[in-house]
Amino acid sequence: MMDNKNLRKILIGIAGRWTLIFLALEIIFFSIFGINYFSLKNLQNILLASTTVLLLATGETFVIVTGGIDLSVGFMVGFSGVICAKVMVTLQAAGASQAVAISSGILAALLLGLLPGLVNGLLVAKLRVPPFIATFGMLGIAYGFAEIICNNVPIMGLPTSVGSIGHGYLIYWLPGKIFAFLQKPENLTRLELQNLVSIIPNVTVITAIVIGIFAFILARTKFGQHTYAIGGSMDAAERAGINVKRHLIKVYMISSFFASLAGVTYVLRFITGRAPAGSARLLDAVVAVVIGGASLYGGTGTILGTVIGALIIGVLEIGLVNLGIPTYNLYIAVGCILIFAVLVDQFFPELVRKE
Amino acid sequence: MTKKRKALSFIGRNWALLFLILMLMLFSILGKNFFGLRNFSNILLAVTTLLLLASGETFVIISGGIDLSIGFVMGFVCVTSAIIMRDLHAAGFPQAVSIMAGSSIGILLGLIPGFINGVLITKLRVPPFIATLGMWGIANGLAWRLCEGFPIAFLPPKARDIGMAYIAYYSPKKGFSLFDRPVLTERADILNLMKIIPLPVLLIAILLVIFAFILSKRKFGQHTYAIGGKVDAAIRAGVNVPWHLIKVYVISSFFAACAGVLLVFKLNMGIHTQYTSSYELFAIAAVVIGGASLMGGKGSIWGTVIGVLLIGTLNNGLMMMGLPIFYRYIAIGCILIVAVLIDQLFPELVYKE
Repeated sequence: MMDNKNLRKILIGIAGRWTLIFLALEIIFFSIFGINYFSLKNLQNILLASTTVLLLATGETFVIVTGGIDLSVGFMVGFSGVICAKVMVTLQAAGASQAVAISSGILAALLLGLLPGLVNGLLVAKLRVPPFIATFGMLGIAYGFAEIICNNVPIMGLPTSVGSIGHGYLIYWLPGKIFAFLQKPENLTRLELQNLVSIIPNVTVITAIVIGIFAFILARTKFGQHTYAIGGSMDAAERAGINVKRHLIKVYMISSFFASLAGVTYVLRFITGRAPAGSARLLDAVVAVVIGGASLYGGTGTILGTVIGALIIGVLEIGLVNLGIPTYNLYIAVGCILIFAVLVDQFFPELVRKE
Repeated sequence: MTKKRKALSFIGRNWALLFLILMLMLFSILGKNFFGLRNFSNILLAVTTLLLLASGETFVIISGGIDLSIGFVMGFVCVTSAIIMRDLHAAGFPQAVSIMAGSSIGILLGLIPGFINGVLITKLRVPPFIATLGMWGIANGLAWRLCEGFPIAFLPPKARDIGMAYIAYYSPKKGFSLFDRPVLTERADILNLMKIIPLPVLLIAILLVIFAFILSKRKFGQHTYAIGGKVDAAIRAGVNVPWHLIKVYVISSFFAACAGVLLVFKLNMGIHTQYTSSYELFAIAAVVIGGASLMGGKGSIWGTVIGVLLIGTLNNGLMMMGLPIFYRYIAIGCILIVAVLIDQLFPELVYKE
């Protein structure tokens, strides 16, 4: 009897953390069968490659927790990326210094990037347009404007420092000789360059800090509690004195902010602004949130879960490339994992929820 | 009810149609060569794919669900039926046999994703958005895997003839002929040849009339509306909801499969759906512009047809005016939001009489 209870506890523990276990299994599998998969360099590459999905999915988590959905985030990446790149190029051409051009480009993208979120929020909260439609309309509008701004060609010729930020690392370490922060040591021999260990990409640092802050907001602050309350029951939230409309507008702006940040990191990483930049990542983001345990009906979901969901996709993606398996298998795999995730949720609600 | 109110109500209910007519007039005045048999044929031919996808989606949306997989089911069927046609043709079968086999096997295979969607949604209680999103990925991956990312070519040449055929031809020299394209040698004669109604458009029109009849006049349609309006009530009224929903998703998939086969005829090639082409989203937009609600219980094939024509006319008109293609994304986004706003802000105009 005692054994049985313990077994049940273990089972519940496994089912409740199946995403984490799945992620670990994935990494173990690819480490065994892949070439150089389990190495500092490759693991950092996975984090870098997952940047867009991580950011989009974190913003999307807020929206999905309220019971809505934001379809505009994919093209918002291109929208803010194009703005960012355009401002940088224009200022540089006008003779501004690189620092000024870059910082104002980033600032402009992040500020203007809030606008679609504001409009989405107003449409959803004040005019009661279903989120699916409002944000889908915004998808088209954001994409159209992005193409108009960049005139249908990728924006090139950005300030050179953009690349050194986007491709830079937090720590450079040459065993026994150099230990530098942010600044890549110069005048190294070829051998030294090969041995130079770069630790934690700048872009990942930014991503991690922002996601950390918002994870705290969702889990520990009143704002987060209200978000869950609205997703659980909008009427109850309203009766409890929450200004639901204002809150929803803020939530859509958060989602929009994350999409803009994803656009900025895209520009930093690829040193170009493209209109369709993140379009293919929209559904990956939604998938990551759902794998992470959120329900599309609202009220459940955590940032940690979402991060694990995004990493499951990222690890799989890089792993398939590493094994030389064509990437289209990724879509099949992600589709199956998605359905599986929801089925686990449906069939073992007591396993996943209680405890 | 006053006359003014009646007029407003008429506008509220038929704004999409009125907007379409307005747009047609506007483009006819502003655009070069917009108003003409040839261009109207082009508009119709261009929207055939979207029309099929959106009609299938209409059934799903009326039942209160959503089907995101249609775009890639279309690509999947397009690739499979093209491969079958190519291989049979290469093996020396008569063209008619390989074309028939390719299209019918393609459509049959296309029913499977819909069936799986339906089972996932009804029996396993997966939300429609998720189930069909999963199928979206699976169908996309399979199609890509089958064609390795390349177009499937070397199909029976008759396929192209069917896809490019018109119902009637009229040439000043040779007179009137049905289905048979008159053989002309002079350049001027070829330019003057009048082509009336593309064959694919006729086939789709027949298909749509049948399904519009099923939706509006048959028990099946009534049950679909009932489920979308209120599932509980539908169950109490004795509708076998799970089975009905499975059929609805199979219908949606069937339309997507037809669109895939049609693509083979139109392009004489099998291609997988591009990752970013967002067919499903445009189909949903057309259905919503046509007056359906994502909450279910509302919508009609006729409305969807207008929604599709609206999008198609907009695309074509902007193109004929020489504007870059991306303006259409902004325009469709705005129209979509306006469509729902009209619905939200003036419900009394739209519903009550």
